[in-house]
Order: sequence, then C-alpha cells, then structure tokens
Amino acid sequence: MASESSASALSANEPSVNDSAANESSTNASADRMETLRAKIAAELPNVDFVLAYGRGFDPLHATPVTVRGEKDLDRLIFDPTCVQNLATSLYGLRGKRLGVVVKGCDSRSIVQLLQERLWERENLVIFGLPCEGVLDLAKLRATLDIASARAASFTGSPRDGLLRLTFNDDGGHDGERTREIETKGLLADKCLRCQHPNPLVFDHMIGPETLPQGAQDDYADLAALEKLSTQERFDFWKRQMGRCIRCYACRNACPLCVCKHVCLADSREPHWLSAEATLQEKWLFQVMHALHLAGRCTECGECQRSCPMGIPILLLKRMMNRELKELFNYQAGVSLEAIPPLHTFLMEEDRIKDRGLLW
Amino acid sequence: MVTRFLKETDLAAVTAAWARDYRVLAPVREGAAIVYRVFSEDMHPFLGRPPTSSAKEALLPQTENLFTYTYRKDHADLTRTEVFLSEALPPEPTLILGPRPCDARGRHLLDRVFLERGVTDPQYKAHSAATLFVTVACTSLQNTCFCHWTGGAMDDETGSDVLLHPLVVGNTGGFVAKAVTLAGEKLLTSLGASLPEATQEMLAKLDERRAKATDPESPSEPVPDLSAVAESFLAVFDDLDFWTDQSARCLSCGVCTYLCPTCSCFNITDENHGLSGRRLRTWDTCMSALYTLEGSGHNPRFSRAHRLRNRVGHKFSYHPREFPQAATEPPSSPSGLEFSCTGCGRCIKSCPVAVDIRRIVLDVIKTATGAAAAHKTAQKAEEAQ
Repeated sequence: MASESSASALSANEPSVNDSAANESSTNASADRMETLRAKIAAELPNVDFVLAYGRGFDPLHATPVTVRGEKDLDRLIFDPTCVQNLATSLYGLRGKRLGVVVKGCDSRSIVQLLQERLWERENLVIFGLPCEGVLDLAKLRATLDIASARAASFTGSPRDGLLRLTFNDDGGHDGERTREIETKGLLADKCLRCQHPNPLVFDHMIGPETLPQGAQDDYADLAALEKLSTQERFDFWKRQMGRCIRCYACRNACPLCVCKHVCLADSREPHWLSAEATLQEKWLFQVMHALHLAGRCTECGECQRSCPMGIPILLLKRMMNRELKELFNYQAGVSLEAIPPLHTFLMEEDRIKDRGLLW
Repeated sequence: MVTRFLKETDLAAVTAAWARDYRVLAPVREGAAIVYRVFSEDMHPFLGRPPTSSAKEALLPQTENLFTYTYRKDHADLTRTEVFLSEALPPEPTLILGPRPCDARGRHLLDRVFLERGVTDPQYKAHSAATLFVTVACTSLQNTCFCHWTGGAMDDETGSDVLLHPLVVGNTGGFVAKAVTLAGEKLLTSLGASLPEATQEMLAKLDERRAKATDPESPSEPVPDLSAVAESFLAVFDDLDFWTDQSARCLSCGVCTYLCPTCSCFNITDENHGLSGRRLRTWDTCMSALYTLEGSGHNPRFSRAHRLRNRVGHKFSYHPREFPQAATEPPSSPSGLEFSCTGCGRCIKSCPVAVDIRRIVLDVIKTATGAAAAHKTAQKAEEAQ
C-alpha cells in the first residue's frame, strides 16, 4: 500500500521503491483504490443514513473518523497506514440507523462479533472492506522522534517494508524544512505483526486487491515475558502501570464490544462496586472486570491500549484471557459468523477441561 | 527581579533541596507518558517535553477527602443516631515543577470558578495558597499548541512563581530561572551558590529569542479572529446536524476533560463502609452521559453531540459571556475575549480519535457566518418580492 498524506498532490509517475509481492499496490493502485472506494460509497449513499470512514486529522500522521452524508464529503476520504481507529466502535451507539462503515481486516472481526451477539442487524449495515497491510503505532514513532512538528508525511511501498517520509518545520530558518525517512517496518502496530486476517471477513464491497497474511503466528511472547516474573513482581508491574491511570475510561469507550458504556459497573452507585476514589484498587478492579467481560469476545483490535492517554499496556490482560480461550476451546473471536462463542454455550463434557469426575 | 542559572546537571540536586521544604510534584517519564509524581531522591525529573497530564492536579486533586464521618447509634434509644465529623487536614506546602505556561495560566481560569463566582471554595483556596509553580517556558510550538490564540505565549509568566527558560550556554544545558513572585524569589535565593546569577549574555540571548518569537514576520500560523465566537456558538447551538457531525467520532471518554488545565467540574460522593465513611470530591467529566443524568431518568444531554457542544460552548462562549469584564483587563486573547481554554492542546493530542477543538471552533464561526449570510440573502429576496 502506498499513499500520500501530505497536502501535496499525488505524483502519478512516482516510482515504487520495493519489488516485493506487495509491489502491485503502488501509488497508482492506491489512488485507484480510493477512487473505487469513493464510487462504491457514492452508489450506496442513497441507501444509508451516513457512512463512517476515515479523513485526515489535525496533522499528517493522524486520521480521524468522518461521517459521509453526501457527495461533497467524498473528497475528505483517505486510507493509509495512519487509519488506526476501529470504526466498528461507533456502531453500537448508532443502533436504529442504517449505516455504511469502512473496515480493515481486524476491524471486520469486531463486526463479526457484534453480529454474532446480535448487537447489530446485518441488513442495516453496508460494509466497505479494505484489505490492509498494516497501520502505524504512533507510540513507536514518538519513542524515536518528536513528531509534534511534522508538517507532511508520505508513504512509499507496503507498510511491511516501505518508507515513511516526514517533513518537519526547521526550527532554525524561517522557511527551511528538513525531511526524514524511516522504515515503516519498525513502526507497525503489534497487532499487525501477528495479523492473520488482513482481508475483511465480512463485507458488502471489497475494495481490493486482497492481500496475503504476512503476520507471524502469535507466540504470545509478550505474555511469556510477563509470566517469567514471580507473582509478586507481576503484581508490582501492574501496580506501577495502573498508578498513572486517570480513570478517563477511554479504554472502555474505545472498545467496540464494551457495549454497556455509561451503564457500566464501574460507574454504578447501586450496586456500589467501585468507589469514586482514584485509587489503585479501583483502577485495577475495573481492568479486571473489563478483561473478564471480554473473555472470548475480544478480537484484540487493540483500541483500548491505543486510546490510553497514559500508555498503560492493558491489552496484555485481554491477550491473557484470549490465550486461555484458545487453549481451552480452540476458539478465536470474530473469525467466523457461524461459530458459537464458547462462553455463549456449554457442553456436558469439554474436551480440554478435566472434570474431577461425577461428584456423587 | 532575581534571575539565576540552573544547570541541567544540577536539576535533581536543586529539586531535592526544594523537597526539604515542600512536597514537590515533579514530571517523570513512565512508559510513553510523562506524569507528575511526588519527588523522591531516586527520581529524575524530566522537563524536555510538556507533561501528559496538566498541573491542575496540584490545585484540584482527582480525589479530595472533604471530611470523614462516623454514625453512632444510641443503644438505649435506637431511633437516635449521632454523627461525628472530622475535617480533612489542610494541604501540605507544595511545589509543582515542570508545568508549562499554558498550565500556569490555567490557575487564573480556575480562580474564576472557585474564587470569583461569589462563593469561595475553601479547599481550592487552601491548595492554591499552598502551591508554588516552577514553570518551564517553551521554545517551540507543537502542532497541537494554540496558546497564542487564547492570549498565552511560550514564555508567558501568568500564574508562575518561577519561570525556567531553557538555554544552552557553550556546552552547558540548563535554565535561566526568573523569579515572578516574591515566593519564587525566595525559592531561588535560598539555595545560594548552587544557583549562580544569570549573566548579561544569557539574558541577552533570551531577549533575542523573545524578539524572534514575537516577530510579526515569523512563519508561525496567524491567529484567527475569534472575536465573534461567543455569539456564533449561540447561533449554531440548535443546529444538531452540525454537532452530530462534529461529534460522530467522539468516544465520550474523559481524556479531554481530565487532562485539561482549566476543566473544573467535580462530583461529590459519600463512600460508606458500614457506619462510617468519607465524603469525597472527585473529578467529573461533562463528556460522560452520567454527568447530566437526572434522578427521574431524564437526560438533557443524552447524545455525544449534546455533550461535545457543551464542552466547546463552555470554553468559548459561556465563559467569555460570564466574564465580559475580562476583555478590558489583561491578560485576554488577541480576539479581546477571555476563553476558559489556555490552548495547551492536550485534548487534541491525547484524543483517541483526533477530535480537534480548534477545528470545531473555526467551523462554528464559519457555519454561523454562512447561516447569517444565507438568512440575509433570503430576507433581501423576500423584500424584493
């Protein structure tokens, strides 16, 4: 995937810098793809209230969700590795409407899960599927570079092995600028590194070309590293991390499957599970609740962790639950519309759960 | 005024010296965030970038214990209950290190709410009186910064006790520390030789930087004219389609309000444990549906559109309308209005879906102007008929 997010116009004959299998998605292909997306959305606009899609945010590295209501909004559409948000998150709050939504492979898994749980009706949804080779983790970029003065950004090649070119205002001169090229490989979100479903699993319009899965098999190395620690050390780790939580609940509200939103146990005064106090205990209890309520439902879209203003690695907790689900039930959430989530049903005898035998 | 030079390498030692007399809140890096922690000798304060959280927590803690209470039943007559209250202790003398000028300006706006509205808030007053701001001046604007829209500046001294100007002299990095208040002066003079006088050369360099920053021909983005925003907002108040589109991406979380240096809303709850408990004041956020949920179940701000409208409206319309006299007294914004926003940009930078309050404010003005023009044209057409 190659795309341009600066204000400057796309150059039609810009050479592609890589010759890998992803080469077919050159700058031209990307521009064509946007044209296809615009055309498909335009054709569906009479059938929907509006379409949720991506537009440019406040700087060239940020995308922001936009509502497309008419043809005039189509010019605002973008799709490139900065389109990190999972637009399925907004769906549940918009029940009762007939909507279009633009999804990447990972986002489509959230929709599968929402449909399985009957939290949306398939007939009220028009899904525009965009195969995706990866999105950026801005936290990784920030760790190496002060991106707050970036003026323009452009991508060449596939995000798997391409380049991000950033243009900065030069602090020294008045009109000077400097550019910096960075390999996008090291900037991809962790979920992209283990992505097995780059092509949307449920869609009405696939805005191709489809791409092959390039993610490594998930070996849960991040969990293994944490589990090497003793119970006490692990708890100390979480105490340190959760200490800076401000209880803004961005993690909860960014979660496409955390559908209770403001009718949450964390906010309830009756019953009174959590006090209003911003103590470690309350912060931690909420994260445990969140993880448990998402067991067998979480598709690891990573929006909880990405949304955290304090950079707390809360996806680890959900991954911990998911690994258990995989081991116990050989189940992955949001992959198949037909599957019944294991915690929505029961078997008299589970293959992988050893009962202690009948108790009488 | 007293001006001293603080070498970067002496920062930890100087902070430690201040920590003998004050509870020092210092910014430290934790993961990808920069947060304030109570200083201890093994910590390295980080002043290189604006902290993720605002300095508001020094004046309006996220959780504040107002008092504790205990009920005692009269065993002879169980219908009688006595209640015993004990007040919270007054706040410790506190020094907050590393806020930015936009944070320090937030004090002035919090004062408006907690001290100047007719009722004085005793807790806030005590915190404010007990807290010193040792602020770090900025040397460049981030692309989320817009302090200059609201009357601030990279080296604005409003609300600070000491302002630290980052400066490199030869190979030595450090700060020219300027005392702004008498308390700030004491902070600098009490340390004697560990804070040498700033040289004329250093001060000349700062003047040069200032001249450059205020150079009208400098390439920084021009400040848009916001003088009509308070009225424009009222004009588009009922345009719910406008607000729905602006808020379609909003997640209704509390990032923007909790990181804001001027958001002042709080909740009061009793946290009971049997017959005793505590009355707490905690931050609240108008982005939450619960904020306006009434006992009857009715919610006047039931959608994200209503809630986002309130946040923008409070900062750019209700506040300047409530304090119109602010236009005549410094410091007000280039537009002649005082906004309850200091342009720190945290609500933009940390928003998970990149909601940009600057964009909304500009769209408000544009939409109101467009609507007014359309109205005028329609009127003219009617008259012509």
